[in-house]
Order: sequence, then structure tokens, then C-alpha cells
Amino acid sequence: MSLIKLVNVTKRFGEITALDRINLSIEDGEYVCILGPTGAGKTTLLRIIAGLLDPDEGEVYIEGRLVNGVPPERRNAVYMFQEYALFPHMTVWENVSYGPVIKDWDRDRIDRVTSEILEMVRLAERKDAFPHELSGGMQQRVALARGIASGARILLLDEPLGALDARLRVDLRTQLRSLVKDQGLTAVHVTHDQEEALMIADRVVILREGRIEQVGTPHEIYSEPRSIFVTSFVGGANFVEGNVAEVGDSGSVVELRGGLRIQVSKRGRSIGEKVVVAVRREDVTVGTEKVTGSNNILGMVESVLFIGGSIEYEVRLENGERISSRILLSDAPKTYRVGERVVVSFPPERCYVFPYPKAGLLKEIEAV
Amino acid sequence: MVSKARKPLDLSNLVVWATLGAFFTLVLLPTFYLISYVFLRWNEVRVEVFENPIIGDENWRQILKVLFFSFRLSLSAVAFDLIFGVPLAYILARKSFPGRTLLEDIVTLPLVIPTSGFGFSTLITWTTVAGIGGFLGLNSGLISLNALIPIINVPFILFVVHVALTFPYVVRTLETKFQSIDVTFELASRTLGASSLTTFRNILLPLAIPGVLSGAVLAFARSLGETGATLIVSGVSTTASIAIVRWASEFKLATASFMGSLLVMIAWAIILPVEVYVGQRGRSLKVPYRMPRALHDRLIKFERFASKRLSRIKDVVPLAVVLTTVVIPIIVVLNSVIRYWSADPYTGKVQGGVLYQLFGPSNYFNSLLRATLTSIIVALASTYISMCLAVPLAFIIERRWYGRIIRTILKVPMIIPTSSLGLSVLLLWGPGGFNLAHPGIWLIILTHIVFSVPVIVESIIAAYEGSGLQMYEDSARTLGATPYNAIETVSLPLLKGGVLTGFILSFTRSLGETGATFIVMGRDVTIPALVVNMVEALAISAALFTSTYLIVLSLILLALIRLLTRRR
Repeated sequence: MSLIKLVNVTKRFGEITALDRINLSIEDGEYVCILGPTGAGKTTLLRIIAGLLDPDEGEVYIEGRLVNGVPPERRNAVYMFQEYALFPHMTVWENVSYGPVIKDWDRDRIDRVTSEILEMVRLAERKDAFPHELSGGMQQRVALARGIASGARILLLDEPLGALDARLRVDLRTQLRSLVKDQGLTAVHVTHDQEEALMIADRVVILREGRIEQVGTPHEIYSEPRSIFVTSFVGGANFVEGNVAEVGDSGSVVELRGGLRIQVSKRGRSIGEKVVVAVRREDVTVGTEKVTGSNNILGMVESVLFIGGSIEYEVRLENGERISSRILLSDAPKTYRVGERVVVSFPPERCYVFPYPKAGLLKEIEAV
Repeated sequence: MVSKARKPLDLSNLVVWATLGAFFTLVLLPTFYLISYVFLRWNEVRVEVFENPIIGDENWRQILKVLFFSFRLSLSAVAFDLIFGVPLAYILARKSFPGRTLLEDIVTLPLVIPTSGFGFSTLITWTTVAGIGGFLGLNSGLISLNALIPIINVPFILFVVHVALTFPYVVRTLETKFQSIDVTFELASRTLGASSLTTFRNILLPLAIPGVLSGAVLAFARSLGETGATLIVSGVSTTASIAIVRWASEFKLATASFMGSLLVMIAWAIILPVEVYVGQRGRSLKVPYRMPRALHDRLIKFERFASKRLSRIKDVVPLAVVLTTVVIPIIVVLNSVIRYWSADPYTGKVQGGVLYQLFGPSNYFNSLLRATLTSIIVALASTYISMCLAVPLAFIIERRWYGRIIRTILKVPMIIPTSSLGLSVLLLWGPGGFNLAHPGIWLIILTHIVFSVPVIVESIIAAYEGSGLQMYEDSARTLGATPYNAIETVSLPLLKGGVLTGFILSFTRSLGETGATFIVMGRDVTIPALVVNMVEALAISAALFTSTYLIVLSLILLALIRLLTRRR
């Protein structure tokens, strides 16, 4: 049985529909990331699970019990704010023991649990410090410790790493996950950082404008994106417009602008249909010779960017379209300069084909 | 399924209704009763004011005269405040120099000192030989009590008192506003080539307009309602507030209430639109005007010149204003108390000395002790009751959708002239109305509650906003706290500073209030009212001593406020 279950949850704020008929089940012990751009409704969803907001329509179940209208203190789901909300007038110890004290556990148990958890997050020595005396990373750990100490089975994390600097954020990802897993907790983690979500989650939920766009394991989300939006938001890609020209057994042929034709292995499209073809930058190679079995298009290097361990070319194709390619430095036999003529290659099976969106291609990509 | 909409915080309905009920009866009803009284007793009013069998409409002409005088006085005082208050507020907000906090305290002082004591100090300073006159070797005061300022036709001494008492509202409000404006705007303007005066005119002033307006409104309301000091220095002139006090004590209730409600309604008509305008966030004012090119160039050139050469004037003149209106009177009073201690230094008569008047046959010392007791009981009781009402009220204002409306309504008792308020309470709860209490300590307490509640609420709200309280409370809730647990363990401790500041502000206000108290006090005289009585009985030395006593008392309170607001 799912630990958390949302059925047709809808929430409106005046004219704006923040959540539109959300259906989602989260299993016991699962680490789920809710990923989406700003304003997608991520935080609203989290607050509804916590009981800080009530849905306008739909049902929320926790442990099989309908919890609509049940106040937050009776849900056993602790909400961790991005700014941590450590009570500024209480010490670390008082903050962490807040849940147990308010729930009136007996003295010994409070002391034992609190010191155990402080030990676990390596803050036992700072137990008498006030929140403002701690670094950002320490504050984050206190907030986490406070949530765990309250005995909650569900952790609702609202951008838990968002207030930390970039380096620390990356370091703490794995720690956060292992802490949750070690304690056997269930976590719902809201973020707009796709790298963070892919790295940390068992399952990723992509939210966009109040609707679920796709749910899957990080691998599924990356390698089988179901929409232009997901492709663009997770990982990013080159997008080109075209029309389906031929449909065959092994795939189809798409005619791009200027009559350029490329092979794609996806089927299920009809001839003449207007489509968008997406190719990830990492799947595009740049060379001087054609690669057999791939689409090969002539072009000219327009810009070269070094990004640490890899190199990114922007190439202007013969039909005027631009395509980016990202190549690991170790895989690059030689580097090309701006103005050099090159061959751009990408295999048909790495091409995603989507029907052309009604609102236009830019809207789908720029919504990110 | 549609779930029941649940508010962010379950203040149980009982608490909400009890609070709103008490708020309505204790604060709103007295505020509005005066106006309805006039309508309910219109016949009486008509006979007394317009168709008096003996004097005809003489009372109506009196009312008009007094109202015009009052508005002339208040408007000119506010204009003066703005001219000198804006540069002072700018200096306090942007410059750091030794003695800045001291200057701030001195500017605030007239807010804290009970006004009748302060009015008496000013009176002594300007119009008697014990003040500046004696210091300059004259045989009399520097200025006679009724000397008029030309053009505005307002007695000099009355004008000085009203400026001193309203100056802090303009300066402190604007100072806070200036501080909230990012200094980088000014820096950007300066690096783009504008002189500091041009920058001030083009950048800072338009952004600070809400502060200018709300400061001016507060000062205007204060001046219109001022009674304590005015009673002492008014001489032959009559402002609206003291006219109400006089008529009420002559039992010309219909005239007094008619004028009181006129005063209230005109004040609201001026103030409320401004408050509503200022209340909308992110207001700034850029007047779309076009200046002839040549004039504009000359203005810029002048501003450049003034920024370089005349900036000292901007620093020095406001300081001089503060010095003459606030510091000198206080020094004069303290000095006089010492000189008058055993006998009048000019006539040598023992009867003129402080000791004789306090402990002699009139035994003012006894009255002072009694008045102190009355004042403290009133201040504690009204502040305590207001506190019980203000804390839940502040939460309702922040949490409920109708909070904004309540907050706007709360402005109304804040700007009602206090003598009108006193009259209103007397008519409502006194023997002629519900007969709840006779003039005396209970009626004073009921009156003080009306203006204490808004003061405390505002100070709690100031602490509430920007504290992120909702987040802390939500956090506590998901950790297992019930709504009441969350308020008790998280919200109230976090709001402690605001609550305490509100307590002291309200206590101070109650201690110093004169106008309303005078009307409802009966035989329970408070200290500020005692000063007025002493001056009217010409017991100058006793009044000197009592004023000093009040000044010392308020200095202690000011120190307490400092201590509480600084710790953060």
C-alpha cells in the first residue's frame, strides 16, 4: 500500500490554478523528487501533503487514511523549509527536542533521542548554540535533525539544499539521501535543479504549470523523455522542426528546412506530419569525415566553448540551422576552430521525435 | 470531494468573536458614539447652537471661529515641521556622527514627556523672567503670552509648543522611511553627475513621499488633538480641543459634542484618504511637471552650489530648532526648580518657594502623591486590558482576510482629537448614557483603552511583519504542535520585543494624556491634569516641581524603550 496517495488534487489561488488534478502514489521508504521550474506548483503540492494547505478538490491519503482537513500536527509529516525555520529564540538542543517535548514524551526518551540524533548529524558539541551562530550547512543539519527527532515518518523537503552555496550543495546531496535511507524514512524533495533530482531520487516527478508531465526513475526521465518540455528541462537538447517524409520499417525520414533529410528510428508518425526532432548535445559528434549509420550533415563551426572536461561546439548547418555538440575532451581527437568546415553526425536511434506543439516550439522550451 | 476550507491558523472562533466584540464595544463604540449622539439629539443641538433663545447663533459662530483657528495653527505647525524635519530626518538616517542616538532621543522626548509638564516648561522659558528673558537681563519674559506671529495670526508660544510636540512625528517617521530606501540609488545618482541636493530632489524625496505624508498626518492629528500643553499656554486664544474641554465642564454638552463631531469628521476627511493612499505598498510620487529649460539649468546649478556651500545650514538650523523648542525649556525648568526651592528668588517670599507650596497649607505634595497613584493605576490597568485585547487583535489582523479592514479602522481612534474622545466616552458610558461609571478612575481607564489598543497593535504588527512568523508556526505545526502550542512556544516569544515596546508606549501615552482625562476624571486627578490645575491656581513653584517630576519619570521610560528596542 502506498504511504502517500494523491487523487485528483486541485488547488486554485484566485484565477490561477496552481495544481490541476494531480494523481500520485509514493511508496513507503521511497525518495521522490518533485522537479519543475519556478511557479510549477511544487511547493503547493508539498504544503498540501503537509496539511499547511487544503486542496480545493481531490483527496490526500497518508497510510491509507483520508487526511483532508486533518491538521498538520496529526499527519506525522514534517515540513522542512528552504530557510530551515529554526526557532531563533531556542538553542540547537531545544530546536531538535521541540517535537518530542511538544508531544509530551517522557524525559528520558526525549534526552536519548535528541542526543542520538545530534550525534548522528555531528552537532552534539554545538547543542547549546543558537541558530544564528551556526553556518548554513550546520543549520541545514539541525533542521533535518529536528524533523527526524519529531518521530515523523515522512520528510517533506522544500529546496533543502537551495540556501547553501554551490559546492556544499553538491556535497550534501548524497549525505541527505543516505540519512533518509538509513532512517527508513520516506522523503518528498522539491527542487528546480535537475542534476540534483537525477542524482538523489528513486523516482522523479516532473511538474509543469500545475500538471504532472512525467513520472519515472531518473534513468527513464533522461533517456525516454515523453515531451519536448521534459527533454529540454532535463538534460537539454537541440530542437529542429521538420515534416515526416517517409515512414518505413526501421524508422522514418524527416525533412528539415531547406530540404535536408535525416533518419530517425522512432516510428508511429504519419507522412506529412509536422514534427520536432530533439537530439541531445552529448549525442552529436563533430568530425571531418562521415560516420556510417549516422545522420551526417555538413556545417561550419560558429563558436567553441570550453566547459571544464568537455568542449562545446556550435555548428551552423548548410540549411542555416544551428546545432550544438558536447564532446568529452578525452574523446576529441583534435579541436576545431571557428570558421572550420566540419561534418556533424548523430545516430538515428538517439533522435527523439515529438508532434509539433500547438503553442509553438519556443513556448515549450522557454517555459523552462 | 470538496474539503472544508481551513484557515492557516485555527484561532478558535470563540476567541475571534470575543476579541472582535470587545474591540467593538471598548474601542470603536466610544469613537463613533459622539457623531451619532449629535444626530440622536439633533433637536437639543439645534436649540443650543443655532436657535438659542438668548444669544441666537452665537455658539455656532464661536465654533466656526475656534475651528478656523485650530486648523490654521495645526497646518502652520505641520508646514514648519516639514521644512525643518526633512533635513533633520535625512541627517539622522544617513549620517553617523558622535551623539546621533542622543539627538534621536532628544527629538523623541516631547513624545514621552506628559504634555502639560512640557507646556509649562515652554511657558516659563518664553514668557517669564525665570526663562530666556531673565537670562538676557530683562525684567520680564522675552515674549508676552499673547504675542502673535504675523501673517498666520497665531500666538508665538502656542506655535512653539505645537511645533515641539509634533516635530518628532515628522522626523522619526521620515527617518525610518529614509533608512528603508537603499542608499545605492543615491550613490548611482551621484556617480551619474547629480549634486547631493539634486539627488535628494529627484531620487530620495519621490521615494520617501509616503513617509512625508504619514509623518505629516500624524503630526497634524497630534496638533489638532493636543490639549495638555495647549491648556497651559493658550492665553486668550482657544483651540478646538480646549473649547471642548471648557464647554464640557460648563455642561454645554450639545455645543461641545456638535463641535467635537465636526472636528472629528473634518480631521478624518483630511487624514483618512492620505492614510489609505500611503497604506498601499510601493507608493512613490513623481509629479509630472515640465520646467523651462533655462530655469531647469539654473536650478541644477543652484543645487550644485548649495550642495557645496550651504550644506552647513541644513545641518545647523534643524539642530537649533530642536535646541530651542525642546532642550532649553527642559533646562529652564530644572534650573528654576532649584532656584525656587525655598523661596521666590525675585520677591524673596517663602510662599513662592517649592517647599512652601508642596508642604504648606495647600499641601500640594499630598495631591501629587494621590495623583501619582491614580496615574499609575490608570496606566497599568488600561495598558493591561488593552494588551489582552491587542495581542489577539494583531493576530486577527495578520491572519484573517478582513484584517486589512480592521487595521484601517484602527487608524480612526488614533487620529481622533483626545478631548472629543473624552467627551464621547463620557456621553456613552457616563451618567447620561449607559451609566456604567461616574467621572473618575474607571471612566479614565475606559478612555485610555481606546487609544492604547491601536498603539499596542501597531507595535506588535511592526514586530510581526518581516519576522517570518508564519513559517516558524507552520514548522512547529508539522513537528506536532497544536495551534495553541505553536503560539505559546514560538509566536509569542518571537513577538516579545514588539509586545513589550507596545506596553511601554501605551503606558507612557496613558501617563501623559491630558485632554480626554480632563473631561472624564471627575475628582480622580492624574499628574498631567494636576499640573494644569496648579497653573490655573497660580501655584507656579508646585507646577515647576511636578513638571520636573514628570520629566524625570518620562526619561526613565525613554531609557526603558531604548533598552528594549535596541536589543535585537
